[in-house]
Amino acid sequence: MTPDAINRLVAQLARLPGVGEKTAQRLAFHLLRTPDLARGLSNALVEVVDRVKLCPVCFSLHDGPEASRCGFCTDGRREDRLLCVVEGISDEMAIERTREFRGRYHVLHGVLSPLEGIGPEQLRIKELLTRLQAAAVEEIIVATNPDVEGEATALYLTRLLKPMGLKVSRLAQGIPMGGDLEYADQATLARALSSRREL
Amino acid sequence: MSLAIVDEALVLSTIDYGEADRIVTLFTRGRGRLSAFAAGARKSKRRFAGALEAGTHLRAQLVERRGEVFRLDGADIVQSFHRLRDDLPRIARLMYCLELIRELTRDQEPHTQLFDGLRDYLQKLDAKEAGPTSLLLFELDALAQAGFMPSFAPCALCGEPTGERPRFDPSHGGVLCLPCSTRVAGGFPVSAQVVEALSRLQAGERTPLPAETRARARELLNVFIAHHLGRKLNSVDFMEQVGTD
Ligand SMILES: [Zn+2]
Ligand SMILES: [Zn+2]
Repeated sequence: MTPDAINRLVAQLARLPGVGEKTAQRLAFHLLRTPDLARGLSNALVEVVDRVKLCPVCFSLHDGPEASRCGFCTDGRREDRLLCVVEGISDEMAIERTREFRGRYHVLHGVLSPLEGIGPEQLRIKELLTRLQAAAVEEIIVATNPDVEGEATALYLTRLLKPMGLKVSRLAQGIPMGGDLEYADQATLARALSSRREL
Repeated sequence: MSLAIVDEALVLSTIDYGEADRIVTLFTRGRGRLSAFAAGARKSKRRFAGALEAGTHLRAQLVERRGEVFRLDGADIVQSFHRLRDDLPRIARLMYCLELIRELTRDQEPHTQLFDGLRDYLQKLDAKEAGPTSLLLFELDALAQAGFMPSFAPCALCGEPTGERPRFDPSHGGVLCLPCSTRVAGGFPVSAQVVEALSRLQAGERTPLPAETRARARELLNVFIAHHLGRKLNSVDFMEQVGTD
């Protein structure tokens, strides 16, 4: 008989995305053999749950005091007139890594997925519109992914934002750096052609 | 034992699996709907470059594995239908018909005509040649192919004309005359004009319907489809949110 505590751990691990029963069992036994890792992990988990929260303005993650704004929102060196809208935190991190963007962010926490029943009210769109009433934003950069759902979300946002007198732009799409024209798919190549630039 | 096959396919939907992979639901020409495991589809952009987008027409290299989902080894794009991603109403219609097909069909039940119908519809949608009436036409055709053809005329129970006060009763197959619907105590009133318009579409007439008739026809089909699938299609809400039909 496997002790209940182990069964409970396996059951919890198996709820993680991409982790099946077998993997969960392997992870559980690994944790059992490495108590340092297990304790460190358990502390980190508790800390994340207790301390990390969403910024009430841009919905980025931060670990400041409850109800306070995040670093992106409070940094006085960032420009208020530029706002970048992203699907999720990992996209925000990717853009931040470029060090090219010095405006503010807004995290939607998802993307319109009609087939999964994810509509505008499941995303932080209402909050974006409310926020724009007061903010000195001039241009919105819609940085959703260039897939069908990302396009749908960008078009939907454009429809709401344009009438507010805002400039709305979309990340350029096309051939990746170091990419190969020969291997590019139709859609990517067509987009790259239509958003070509003069030299 | 595993068996390699090559088949034409339309991408119905995909879900991310783990960090690098994706499970894709395909509507294949020869084998109907099936799910396939696309290893590395999230990480390596080159392997399935742009091929697993909703609605894409592929030539898919699949491997059948006993007791497991298929494995997608490769996919060449036949048509990507990317032009229809330029506006919301067309994206909404794309999503709607993909969900309809996904829900109407069952795994590994071939529907060659339905495949061709969906491919042709997507082609028209991409070329801006398909308006809202074309979607109704496509739906009626898809329902018929899947074995759920709604009957609009004559009365689904007695075969007599449905008259001035027809009623719609999805559990009895469609439109009923007033005496029949009173007898079976089901259905709700519908306009004779909408019934007439739908039966003409079903008979193959291709005249665009006025917006008001389309809206009523849409309500009727929503009820009919929800009755047969046991739930309303998710993308119906999206069509309403973007204000299209
Ligand atoms: Zn913030
Ligand atoms: Zn009758």
